[in-house]
Amino acid sequence: MKQTLTSCERVKRMMEHRDHDRVPRSDGYWDETIARWQAEGLAGSTEQVWQLLDRDFAHLCWSWPRPFPGRQEVLEQNEETRVVIDGFGQKTREWKHRSGTPEHLGWECDSRQVWENRIKPALRATDLHVHVADAQAQYAQGRTRERWCYLAGVEGFEATRKIMGDELAMIAMAEDPDWIRDVSRVHTDMVLRDFEALWKAGVHPDGVWIYGDMAYNHATVCSPAMYRDTIWPDHKRLADWAHAHGCKFIYHTDGDIRAVMDLYIEAGFDCLQPLEAKANMDIRELCPVYGDKLAMFGNIDMLVAGSNDRERIEHEVRSKLAAGMATRAYAYHSDHSVPPTVSWATYQLIIELLDRYGNYE
Amino acid sequence: MADLSALQQAVIKGDRANAVKLTQEAVNAKVSPKEILDQGLVAGMAVVGARFKKNEVFVPEVLIAARAMKEAMGVLEPVLAKAGIKPAHTAVIGTVQGDLHDIGKNLVAMMWKGANFGVIDLGTNVPPEKFVEAAKQHQANVVGLSALLTTTMPAMKKTVEAIKAANLPGVKILVGGAPITQAFANEVGADGFAPDAATAVDVAKKVLAA
Repeated sequence: MKQTLTSCERVKRMMEHRDHDRVPRSDGYWDETIARWQAEGLAGSTEQVWQLLDRDFAHLCWSWPRPFPGRQEVLEQNEETRVVIDGFGQKTREWKHRSGTPEHLGWECDSRQVWENRIKPALRATDLHVHVADAQAQYAQGRTRERWCYLAGVEGFEATRKIMGDELAMIAMAEDPDWIRDVSRVHTDMVLRDFEALWKAGVHPDGVWIYGDMAYNHATVCSPAMYRDTIWPDHKRLADWAHAHGCKFIYHTDGDIRAVMDLYIEAGFDCLQPLEAKANMDIRELCPVYGDKLAMFGNIDMLVAGSNDRERIEHEVRSKLAAGMATRAYAYHSDHSVPPTVSWATYQLIIELLDRYGNYE
Repeated sequence: MADLSALQQAVIKGDRANAVKLTQEAVNAKVSPKEILDQGLVAGMAVVGARFKKNEVFVPEVLIAARAMKEAMGVLEPVLAKAGIKPAHTAVIGTVQGDLHDIGKNLVAMMWKGANFGVIDLGTNVPPEKFVEAAKQHQANVVGLSALLTTTMPAMKKTVEAIKAANLPGVKILVGGAPITQAFANEVGADGFAPDAATAVDVAKKVLAA
């Protein structure tokens, strides 16, 4: 394949729904996946996989403000797991030697009073949550390699869940929405302060990529109306900041988000990622409806990839590339991250299929 | 006169103060505790579950409704116990070995409690033998297995095999979780698959009636 564009130009054009040479690419991998692939012949680690994939994106920083930065107290442990209290005041049981979602055991922020008196002041008193020098170095490297450079951070809904836990956050959404608005607003202020500091330090990215899981397999966690009333204003603030600085805005959420796609468009989102296939997200259906307004990034079903069935995988990749490429606004990514059920041979096949079917004429 | 339709509405709205008050009034008025449970609390949660399934209400509304029911049960449980009334079914639930995910499992436990199932929650990272032991000990009718990760699906299969091997009469096995499908449930020999927490009630009732 003859590539005529740099990564940065390619992604920019994709985000603008303009002609480009091939589908841009990125992906994420579990630690166990890389370990499996190394046992199956991968020479190197994640960086080498990204090179083979010809990844187009450069990550510059990660802004996830927390009220007690650096805190990571181990309260108890055994051979398999440890119980820790972290910088969010969150107590979890986590695996010591493998990846996976931790078990949630409790939160220091268990009432609005604790939020007002302890957590909010602590959060506001924190220093920057990004390393400016590191981001500058990543930015310089990203520009040298002509990649599409982005700032990454976490949005307000994820912040409320992390600070007070799912159950209290969702009960508060119903009974005390002003509290949720306040947590989201203070958190978003901190993220934007980080981004501003980087901008002033000469880090001028191409995009902002914000993470927050607002949905599960069958629906959004809360109603579209509740989302519009509580978290959406801060989503719009983040998107507005991106646009005011000449950046595109990518939003990451797992789950079935079909009911809020119009609200995302209204907030000014440019691109959605990773579009979980097992949560009813299918770009073959979404692109004809939203493809002129939103770029789609991902959706390659890792349950299909995990079957390691060549025929099924070829159909999955080929049909979704066709749907995405019809809009000129599609980038490859797994529909979440690549689990260790996917063999190294299968992932090489996916790259081969991207090479074969992911080029524009 | 006790107003069980008002109690039902209090549960639906998640109005816990009113749910407790109306339950106490019904108890004081000597309404049968079974009637208070079935026509007030469980009926209210059934409406919430049906709306949840249709995406008419979402997790926040379900949580406040379940909390209202739980607090009202605090009033009703001693009366039920005194009258010798037990939950309609007993369920054991847990997240399978190797998986610490708990949110989906907790939602299903909550919905089952709302449907008057006695629920024994084994927590997360539960080995197969612990499911078997708990099902025996509590004479469970239903065992619910949850998994979030594709990598822990084999542990779900092992757990189903262990429960079947224990040959527990009348025990039905339900599976669910983000990567789980009906096809996987069939493959591992589960009796039912619940794609979401609201459906878990219907599926449990269906397999128990079969």
